[in-house]
Amino acid sequence: MATDTPSEAGFGEVSRVRGIVFEYLSLGASVAGLLALGILLVYVAVDAFDLANASPEWLLTYFLTLVVPYLGFCLYSVGDPTVTRRAVAALGGGLVAVAGLFVGIETFVSPIPRLNWPVAYLFVVVIPLTAYLTYVGNQGRVGAVGLGLIGRAVGGAAVGLAVGTLFLVFDQFVWFLAYTFGVFPAVALYVYARRSPSSRAATAAPVVGVVGILLAVFARETISTYPSDLLIFLWTIAIPVAVVGERLVTARGGRTAGLLAGGVPLALAVAGGFLAGTVGLPGPDILVVVALVGTAVAVYLQRVIEDGEGLAGLALPVLLVAGPLVGALVVGAWGVPAPDPWLDVGFLTEAPSRNAVEAGLYPAIVGSVIIIAIVAVLSFALGVGTAVFLEEYTAETGLVGTLTRILQINIANLAAIPSVVYGLLGLGLFANLLGLGFGTALTVSLTLSLLILPITIVSAQEAIRSVPDEFRRGSDAMGATRWQTTKNVVLPEAMPGILTGTILALGRAIGETAPLIMVGAATTVFSAPNSLFSKFSAMPMQIYAWADFPQPEFRYGVVAAGVMTLLVVLIGMNGTAILLRNRAERGS
Amino acid sequence: MSNTETETKTESDGSDSLITTDVQAEQNDRSAPSTRTAVAARNLNVYYGDEQAIKDVTMDIPEKRVTALIGPSGCGKSTFLRTINRMNDMIDICRVEGDVEFGGKNVYDPDVDPVALRRKIGMVFQKPNPFPKSIRDNVAYGLKIQGFDSDVDARVEESLKGAALYEEVKDQLDSSGLELSGGQQQRLCIARAIAPDPEVILMDEPTSALDPVAASKIEDLIDDLAEEYTVIIVTHNMQQAARISDRTAVFLTGGELVEYDDTAKIFEDPEEQRVEDYITGKFG
Repeated sequence: MATDTPSEAGFGEVSRVRGIVFEYLSLGASVAGLLALGILLVYVAVDAFDLANASPEWLLTYFLTLVVPYLGFCLYSVGDPTVTRRAVAALGGGLVAVAGLFVGIETFVSPIPRLNWPVAYLFVVVIPLTAYLTYVGNQGRVGAVGLGLIGRAVGGAAVGLAVGTLFLVFDQFVWFLAYTFGVFPAVALYVYARRSPSSRAATAAPVVGVVGILLAVFARETISTYPSDLLIFLWTIAIPVAVVGERLVTARGGRTAGLLAGGVPLALAVAGGFLAGTVGLPGPDILVVVALVGTAVAVYLQRVIEDGEGLAGLALPVLLVAGPLVGALVVGAWGVPAPDPWLDVGFLTEAPSRNAVEAGLYPAIVGSVIIIAIVAVLSFALGVGTAVFLEEYTAETGLVGTLTRILQINIANLAAIPSVVYGLLGLGLFANLLGLGFGTALTVSLTLSLLILPITIVSAQEAIRSVPDEFRRGSDAMGATRWQTTKNVVLPEAMPGILTGTILALGRAIGETAPLIMVGAATTVFSAPNSLFSKFSAMPMQIYAWADFPQPEFRYGVVAAGVMTLLVVLIGMNGTAILLRNRAERGS
Repeated sequence: MSNTETETKTESDGSDSLITTDVQAEQNDRSAPSTRTAVAARNLNVYYGDEQAIKDVTMDIPEKRVTALIGPSGCGKSTFLRTINRMNDMIDICRVEGDVEFGGKNVYDPDVDPVALRRKIGMVFQKPNPFPKSIRDNVAYGLKIQGFDSDVDARVEESLKGAALYEEVKDQLDSSGLELSGGQQQRLCIARAIAPDPEVILMDEPTSALDPVAASKIEDLIDDLAEEYTVIIVTHNMQQAARISDRTAVFLTGGELVEYDDTAKIFEDPEEQRVEDYITGKFG
């Protein structure tokens, strides 16, 4: 069919069809991907928390006792009537829209399995709105104070639990001796040197530390009686933390406040540790957790009270504790059916079982935490070291330059090698050749470190390369050695980028299953590992094993609970790392 | 001005004022030829690969004077500057023949440590390049890497005063050096360069990235710096060379030192026709 020539008015038109098609295709693809992932996660969460069996009355009770007060707190912090109006409109309008759409689909299209409209409303409207209002509320002073307090409490607890977990594997007696003979004298010497400027004491501090630690390793074998774990943790962790808190607060708010901020949490921690011991809970862990949480909270409280702004935010913990309590009372009195979540305290603290109701993830959580700790330290140290060597120390020309280029290309290629192959390498190198054992914590950690090392190196190289050369030249011209330039100028500037790369790489390591299978890690272990050489499992391995079980309770309930736990640990870890990175960015 | 100075002198004790007068007498008389040589080049040739950047240069640079290096782009004046503190070592293809004498020693002798050499020679670059650190840490950088840890704050303050920056930044020493304006950044770089008390300061077109007001502040500063330090400055701006320098070296294309004499002589009555052409703008 013949087409008419376009009219010749003006400059004519230039076709943008391809660009527009590309734009909307990309947008559609991203939205579709996110939506699919979102729906999957919704179902996982519904299964893990058994929300399909939650009655509307149950949801309504907690909505009124927990969600509404929290949203009110955030809106109060924002203090903007427009935001409040919009939030109320979104809650109300969302309710009508979701309920209508849901019922419409159920009636006219097809029934939606394992979901009802209140749960859909929860995921589509309430959770996104809560996240948004948390973000906005955090901009206001009241919200920042409240969330800061919660953050310190949760962060302190997480660090405390992680420390407790690490001591399941690492020998607390060696640590006790190393702290007493090495770390403590070295720090004391350093502090003394800082106060009275005698530079000899400051340079002696690291030497004292190293000698003390070596002495400790030696003495571990010869000394046979040790204090109880509670006393060890009190002396090596709780008291130093309290002293740091006391110093911080004394510097800002004077002697009395400092003693209170250091002393009260310490007293609570000691009391809590002893009492927990008498009722059969792990006393040392509770001591560490209470000491860390208490000191972090006390230091923060003192600062907030001294600033005198946003004090209302301190009510947020009360709100968050009282809400569920009141909700539980109402639900109990009302007698409405409540969900029975798979992901509960028992799931996190008990060993796997053939019975779905009793199954727990505890040994695998411990295994994963230990792997993450070792892999993070190893891959960061080795990765940054290699990147610094390749970027700052090797020549660009000559034989060394050629070798460096070959090395560079190979490292980039190593990042693309499938993880199964790394598993094979770990099996051959660490398990067989070096004799570190099949599926031990050490073998798995080393294999995973090797797996993510290329990613860490390449991203650290990028970060180092992005530091402008003029900083290096400025430092060189001041008469800095290459090491001084690297340490004082290049690394501080590259650190945010290096941390970003390491975070991404660690995220990959924590989710890996294939290399674990190759090096012979157990799919299921029934007790937490107690040394670096004991058989152990990791969260993805355990989840993989459960997914194979014949009973549907495992496939729909326990696996979902495991996935949720894995995701929470991953998000928590990445969140912490991102906070650290942001701090590093602000520092420069 | 002179009144206050006299008053201060009478207040302080006799020996102090005597020294001050002496020093001032010496400093104020910069027009007289300096008796001592700070840096000397002897038959210096520099190559980048096969290309010759500096051709057989021999010159004596006097102590505690401002020596300007001028010439068209690519004439080797910046290369010459970087030869003095061996910053050219960083360039793989760069090759140096001949001697550069500093402190009675050829800096290209095998037993000379270029890092130790650079600690005696400060350098200021064309584009201000303060480190992404606080103002205090920027100035203290040289002290830190050389291991001085006493009186750092006092020396930071002194250096900032020496770079005429202290009054503007004294309340924000802990804020980042990158938050300052371009001119302030360049003075911060000068403060950083003088903090470890070097003997020579090399400046590679220090004002070419600055506005005229900031540039004139730097020029005043260079004048003051020459009381204590030997200043060697590369510049494209002939007025600037005429205003601030005591001696001027004119490099022309091919890395040849065409004429080197007192600044007044170069700008009023140059020996070489080529130099006159360059200065009057007929060439270059």
